Amino acid sequence: MSLQGVAAVRMLPAAPRNLWAAAWWRYARNRVRVLAAGTALVIVAASVAAPLVAPTRYDVAEIAESLQQPSPRHWLGTDAIGRDVLSRLLYGGRTSLEVALAVVALAVLVGVPLGVAAGFAGGWVDYAVVRLVEISTALPALLLAMLLISVLGSGIGNAILALAVVAWIEPCRLMRAQTLALRNREFVEAAWALGAGTGHLVWRHILPNTVGPLIVVITLTIPRMIFAEASLSFLGLGINDPLPSWGKMVSESVSYMQVYPVLGIAPTVMIALMVLTLTLVGDGLRDALDPSRGQPTGGLR
Amino acid sequence: MTARYLFGRISGLVVAVVTVSILAFLLMHAVPGGPFDETRSPLPPAAKANILRKYGLDQPIWVQYARYVWHALHGDFGTPYQSPTETVLALLARVWPVTLLLGAIVVGISFTLGLGLGVLSALRQNTWLDNLLTSVATLGMTVPNFVIAIWLIYILSIRARWLPTGGWGEARLLIMPVVAYSLQPLAIVARYTRVAVLEAMAGDYVRTALAKGLSPAQVVVRHVLRNALIPIVTLLGPMIPDLFTGSIFIEFTFRIPGLGKFFVTSIFQRDYPMIMATVLLVAVLWSLTYLASDVLYVLIDPRVRLGARGR
Amino acid sequence: MAVSRLLAGVVILLLSLWGAGVMSATTNAVGRPLPADAAPPEQQVLTGLTQPATTLDFFVSVYKRPQNVDGNSWSNVLSTPLVRLDKNFNLVAAAAKSWEASKDGLTWTFHLDKSVTWSDGTPLTADDFVSTFRLGADPKQAWDFAWFFSAIKGWDDAVKGTIPVDQIGVQRGSDPYTLVVTTTVPAPYLPGMMLYSPPLQAKALAASGPFYNTDPATSVSSGPYVLQEWAKDQRIVLVANPKYSGVRPFIQKLVLKFADLKTEFSAYQANEVDVAANFSPADLQVIENDPALRAQYHQGFGDFRTYYVGFDTLHAPFGNLKLRQAFSHAIDRAALIKSVIKQQGIAAYGFLMPGFPGSQNDALKGIQTYDPALAKKLLAEAGFPGGKGLPKLELWLRNERALGQAIGNAIAAMLKQNLGVEVEVSNRETKLFMDELNGHRLQFYIVSYGMDFLDPANMLGIWLSGGRHAWKSDKFDSLVKTASSMVGNPGQRLAMFHQAEQVLVSDVGFIPIYFVTPGFMWKPYLRGDALSADKIGVTAWHWPGWDGLSTLHQSVYVTKDVSKYRR
Repeated sequence: MSLQGVAAVRMLPAAPRNLWAAAWWRYARNRVRVLAAGTALVIVAASVAAPLVAPTRYDVAEIAESLQQPSPRHWLGTDAIGRDVLSRLLYGGRTSLEVALAVVALAVLVGVPLGVAAGFAGGWVDYAVVRLVEISTALPALLLAMLLISVLGSGIGNAILALAVVAWIEPCRLMRAQTLALRNREFVEAAWALGAGTGHLVWRHILPNTVGPLIVVITLTIPRMIFAEASLSFLGLGINDPLPSWGKMVSESVSYMQVYPVLGIAPTVMIALMVLTLTLVGDGLRDALDPSRGQPTGGLR
Repeated sequence: MTARYLFGRISGLVVAVVTVSILAFLLMHAVPGGPFDETRSPLPPAAKANILRKYGLDQPIWVQYARYVWHALHGDFGTPYQSPTETVLALLARVWPVTLLLGAIVVGISFTLGLGLGVLSALRQNTWLDNLLTSVATLGMTVPNFVIAIWLIYILSIRARWLPTGGWGEARLLIMPVVAYSLQPLAIVARYTRVAVLEAMAGDYVRTALAKGLSPAQVVVRHVLRNALIPIVTLLGPMIPDLFTGSIFIEFTFRIPGLGKFFVTSIFQRDYPMIMATVLLVAVLWSLTYLASDVLYVLIDPRVRLGARGR
Repeated sequence: MAVSRLLAGVVILLLSLWGAGVMSATTNAVGRPLPADAAPPEQQVLTGLTQPATTLDFFVSVYKRPQNVDGNSWSNVLSTPLVRLDKNFNLVAAAAKSWEASKDGLTWTFHLDKSVTWSDGTPLTADDFVSTFRLGADPKQAWDFAWFFSAIKGWDDAVKGTIPVDQIGVQRGSDPYTLVVTTTVPAPYLPGMMLYSPPLQAKALAASGPFYNTDPATSVSSGPYVLQEWAKDQRIVLVANPKYSGVRPFIQKLVLKFADLKTEFSAYQANEVDVAANFSPADLQVIENDPALRAQYHQGFGDFRTYYVGFDTLHAPFGNLKLRQAFSHAIDRAALIKSVIKQQGIAAYGFLMPGFPGSQNDALKGIQTYDPALAKKLLAEAGFPGGKGLPKLELWLRNERALGQAIGNAIAAMLKQNLGVEVEVSNRETKLFMDELNGHRLQFYIVSYGMDFLDPANMLGIWLSGGRHAWKSDKFDSLVKTASSMVGNPGQRLAMFHQAEQVLVSDVGFIPIYFVTPGFMWKPYLRGDALSADKIGVTAWHWPGWDGLSTLHQSVYVTKDVSKYRR
C-alpha cells in the first residue's frame, strides 16, 4: 500500500536492525490506534471475504420482501427490490475499497514525483507541471467522464481511470509546495554542500517532512473517490447495477431517508469508519516509524 | 520574486486558459447529443438541421471555435440555451453574486472555526479532545452535503416546522444551506491545520525557541503557525474557488438561484455557451488561486525562491 | 328610541338572513363568485413546484415549459387554444366555437369565438393562430416540436425551407374569425391535435419576439391568467386575467417555484406547496403509514405512459424471436406491481393503456404471460440454454429516479433468477441514451412513452419503422399507416389498430412492463369539480394538469380549511 510505502521510505536512512519490532512496540503503546488498526483489518477482511461471509450474493432479490426494516432474518433490512442490505454492504465494501485504493495509489504514484520534480527542478519543468495542473483542474471532469463513457463503456477499470485523471492534482501540488519550501532550508543546503544527490535529498529531507499532510490528502481522497465513483455510476460509467458500492448505496438511500434510514446510515458508517481508522493508523504509523516524533512538543502542552 | 516572474506566470495563465478553452470546446462537441430534444423519436433531418443552424453548429468545428474566440474577445460570450432571454454575461451577473454570498459565509465559518479547532487539536495531540475532534471531523468529511441537507430539511422543516425547506431572499433561508455546506470544508480545514501544525512543531527550531525561553504561545504564533502555513495555503487555497463556484446539490435541494447548478445542467443540456463560460471561469479562478498561493509561499517564507532554475 | 331600536333589530335580522347569501356572493379579484365554503379571495392562491423553464408557451419550446411530472404541466395559461380537454378527456370548445371537416377529410374549418380577447383589449383572431403556426414551422425559429404537425399541408416543406412559411396549410378563412387547416392526408385526429394550438399574439410576436411572455412588460394573454412576475431560476407568479372572457378561475394567483422535483414531497409535507407528484417507493411508504396523507393521495393516469423493455431486434442476439419470447415470459409483472411499483402502475400486456382509445390490454394478456418454465424452454430453443452463449448484457435506463432504478434492477434479478442470464443495469444520461436509441445502437433497454394526443395513431405511430425503435414489421407499418388516415369507418379503423398492436406484442417488438398511474397529492382544502371522480372513477389531477389546454383550472378553489395548514 502506498501509505506504508511512503512512511517506510522516510526510515531508509536510519534503518536500525530491529526497526519493525521497535516500530510495532511504539505503535502498540496507543490503544486507540491498535483498535483502529483492528477495525480497519476487520472491514477490509469482511469486504474481501464477502462471498464467504455475506448471507446472500449481492444480486439475490426476493421481491416479495422489499423494503423491510432490520430483523433477525435481514440484520440490516432489505432494499427496494428485496435484496439483503448487509450482503450488499459487504460486497459494496469490496468495490469501494478497490476503487478508492487504486485511485489513491495512482494519484500518489503520479502526483508525488511530478510535484517533487516541479519544486526541485524549477524552470521549464515547473512551468509545464503547473500548466498541467491548471488545465486538469479547469477541464470539466463530468464532460471528460461522459466522453469516456461513449468511447470506453462502463467498468471498474474505466471508473478508476476517470477518477485518477483528477485525483493526482492535490498530492502533486502539495509536494511541489513542500519541495519549494524546503529546498532552500539550511539542512538541505548543507546536505547539498556535502555532495548529496537529488534522490537522497528527496528521500531524506523532502518526503519525511511531508508525510503528515500527505496522509491527510490520502485519507481525504478516499471518501471523495468513493462518492465520485457513485456519481460516475449514476452516469453509467463505473460500477453498473446490481453490483453495489458504498457510495452508490448512500446516493440511492437519499430518497428513502425518511422511512428506511438504515439504507443510508449503514454505508455512511462504513465509509466514516474506514476513513477514521485509516487516519488513526496513518498517524500511528508515522509516529511509530519516526521515534523523534512520539512526544515532540511536550513543552507546549 | 520579480516582475519578470509575475509576467511569466501571467503569460502561463493565458496559455493554460487558451489550452483549456480548446480542449473543452473539442470535448463538449465530441460528447454525443446536442441542444435538441429527441426524447420522443428521432427528429426529422430538416428540423434537426434547423436547430443546428440556429446555433451555428452546422459549421466546421474550427470555424465555430474561431467565431467563439472572436466574439469572446469582443465581450460577447453568447446566449445560454437554458435561458435564451439573456446573455451569458447577464446570467453570470445574476447568479454568481448569490453563490459568492453563500460561499463567502461558508468560507468565513469553515476557515475561522476550522483553523481554531485544528490548532486546538494539534496542541492537545492524542488526548480525548483530539480524538473526539478527529472523529467528528472524519464524519464531517465523509457524510456528503446532500445527505446532511436532506436530514436538516427533515428535522428542521418537516418535523419541527422551524424553517422553510428552501428558497432565497431572507436571512433565515441561509441557515440550512450554510450548515449543510460548511461541515465538510470545516472538517477538512481542521484536519489539514492539525497535521500541518504538528509537522511544524516537530521542527528543531521549536525546541530551539523553547530552549531560548520563549513561551509556548509565542512559539506557536511566531514559528509553528508560520511554518504550518505553506501546506495549509497549498491544500486549502483551492477550496476557496471551489466554494465560490457553488454546489449543485445545495442549490437544487434548497432552491437557491446560484451558479453551481450550471456546471452540471449546462453539460446535461449541451448548453455549449454556458459550458464554455463555466470552464473559462474555473480556469481563470483556479489559475489565479494557484498564482496567489505561490506568491503567498514567498511572503510566508522568504527563503522560497520561485521560478529559480534547478541546480 | 324604540323606533330606532326596532330599525336596528330589523337591519340585524335582515343581515343575518342575508348572511349566507352575502358570503356566497363574495367574489375574487376577477369577479368570480366564490363558493360558500371557500376561503377569502386573498387565500385563493395555488403554489406548486416545477422543473426550470424558459417559456410558458408551447410554440416557443415544448420541452422548456414548466412541468412537474409527465402529464402535469403548468404552462399555456396565457393562451386560449382552439379546443380544451375536460376531465373526462372530451374535447370542449375554447377559442373555437365549432369546427367541421370537408367531405374529402382534408380541410378543417374552425369558427372562432368572437368574445375572446387579449388582455390588451385586441380580439383573438385567425391571424394570431396563423402567425403562431408559422412560427412553429419557421426554420429560423427551429422549434423543438416541429416534427409534430407534419400532417399539415406544406408543413414539412416549410420546415425544410423549400417553401415560405406563409404557404403552410393554416390560413385565415373568409373572415378574421375563421381558421382553415388543410392536411396532406385525411387526419380524423386533427381536432384532437388542435389541443396544441395555444396561440401567441401576432402583434406581440412582431413587436417583441417569441419570448414576450417572459416579461410582464411585454406579456399579453388570451388565457385565464396574466403574468405578474418572472424571477429567473426562482419563480413565476401568475394572476387571474381580468379581461378573460372564458370561465374565470377561482384561484386568483398561481405561484410556480423552480426546483429539483426530488424535493417536492418534503415541500408538500412542510405545507409550502399545495400539490405534489413524483413519489419514490419510500415516499409511498410514508404516505401509507399516515392516514391523513393517505386521504390526500389520488391515483391518476397521467399521460397514458407505458414503460417497456426494448431490444435491437435487427441484430444478434435479439434478432432471435425465441430469445425475445424467453425474456418476455421471464418477467413477473404482478410481483413487480405488488412489491415495487405499488399504486403507481398497473401491469401492461400491450402498448395502449386501459382508458386510452383502442386499448385492449386484457385481450393481449395471453401473449406474454409470466411462465418461467416456458421461458427456460424457449431460451434453450433459441440456442442459449441456461443463458450460455449470450454476450454480456447491459440493460440501459434513461435517467431514472428511485422507482425506475428499482424496476430495472428487479427485472435484471428476474432474468437472472428465471433464466440464469446475467444482466447489468446502467442508468444513463438522457441525451446519451436517446442518441443511442435513435441511432438504433441500443441493444437492450427500458424506456417509456406517453401520448401526445388521444388517438392510437399517436402511440402506435412511434413503432413505425424508421422511428426510434430497432424493430420492423411491414404488416404493422401498413396497418398503422392505413388506419391512421382512415375516415368514415371508425369500427374498421379500430380493428386495424388492434391487429397492429397484436403483431407488435406477438413479435415481442418490446416487453410491456407497466402503465404509469402517477399519484397526485393535494391538500384537503382544495376542492372543485375537476378534483371529483370522473366517469371511470378516477379523482386525480388529470392530464395535462393546471394548464391552458385543460379545464382543470376552472373549478378548483381553496376552502376555509386552509387556515389549519398554511402558516
